[in-house]
Amino acid sequence: MFNVPVDTDEGLFGRVREGDMRAFDALYARYESRLFAFLFSQLKNRADAEDVFHEAFLRTLKSGEVVFDRDGAFRTWLYRIARNVALNHQRSDRRGTRAVAQLPERDSPPRADDQLGDRQLLHALDGAVARLPAPLSEVYHLRSSGLSYDEIATVLEIPLGTLKSRMNQMVTHLREELRPWTAR
Amino acid sequence: MDCSVISADLIAYHFATCDDDARARIDAHLLGCTECLRAYLAIKHHTDRGTSLDARPSDAARARLRAAVAAEFQPSLGARAARALRRPIPLYQSLAAAAAVVFVAAAVAPMLARTDSMPPMQATGGERVDTARPTPENLSFY
Repeated sequence: MFNVPVDTDEGLFGRVREGDMRAFDALYARYESRLFAFLFSQLKNRADAEDVFHEAFLRTLKSGEVVFDRDGAFRTWLYRIARNVALNHQRSDRRGTRAVAQLPERDSPPRADDQLGDRQLLHALDGAVARLPAPLSEVYHLRSSGLSYDEIATVLEIPLGTLKSRMNQMVTHLREELRPWTAR
Repeated sequence: MDCSVISADLIAYHFATCDDDARARIDAHLLGCTECLRAYLAIKHHTDRGTSLDARPSDAARARLRAAVAAEFQPSLGARAARALRRPIPLYQSLAAAAAVVFVAAAVAPMLARTDSMPPMQATGGERVDTARPTPENLSFY
């Protein structure tokens, strides 16, 4: 079997700080989609999400005093900073009301002949996720980004028990929203 | 088990919030039901990807961040040259440099030796003639 060495986030972080821009490109490619999706879900505005992404990524890379001594440490730190920057951004700009106004409307239930069509189900899932309350939406996106329960609890600064409770609420919420598409 | 019960639990199954019994039942069902398996895989792929939106910063935003990172961390030309000079030379580079010196010395040494063995140019009268600066006196031998 081939044994291809893969750079860890922590290794790439160290190389970026030494001026290696190829390491930056690799690190950016790993997070551009998921971190941006997380921020977009919080801010509901593309320009705001780009600004916060920029600030959070740069601030994380400048964290020279932080020692990433285990796998996943960089990821946890990045999401934690991103969340805090996003919260500050929301507080300072009072964007909350605009965010609520942009929530997608509930999809009309499927007709009897096309129930469980994958595309419709996924479209409904997108809508259901977009309508999740903010604390549950955070949990959904962080878990979808591949963070472990411990890492999510660290990012959100909540006890593990609270996180598990939110996970159950989130799943129940989505299950209820998707009932018309899954019942047959 | 009924497919409608399974499909309603696929989200919980994906996020691992269902109990062990429910998980075992869904596992068993997915092994035998292509339709539910396809629905589950679609949900898994979709959630793992984050969202169906084009969820990534624009190229301009990426370029702006890249420039900021380069300005912050990429050293100047002088600093890079100083760092290259401070860098320890690997053994193979030292050996290559030594071999190059020996080769050049071996090529040049015979030429130098030949130059040393040539007799100085002498005039017929035994006087040294400076042909570079001819004077009426040293032109007499012509």
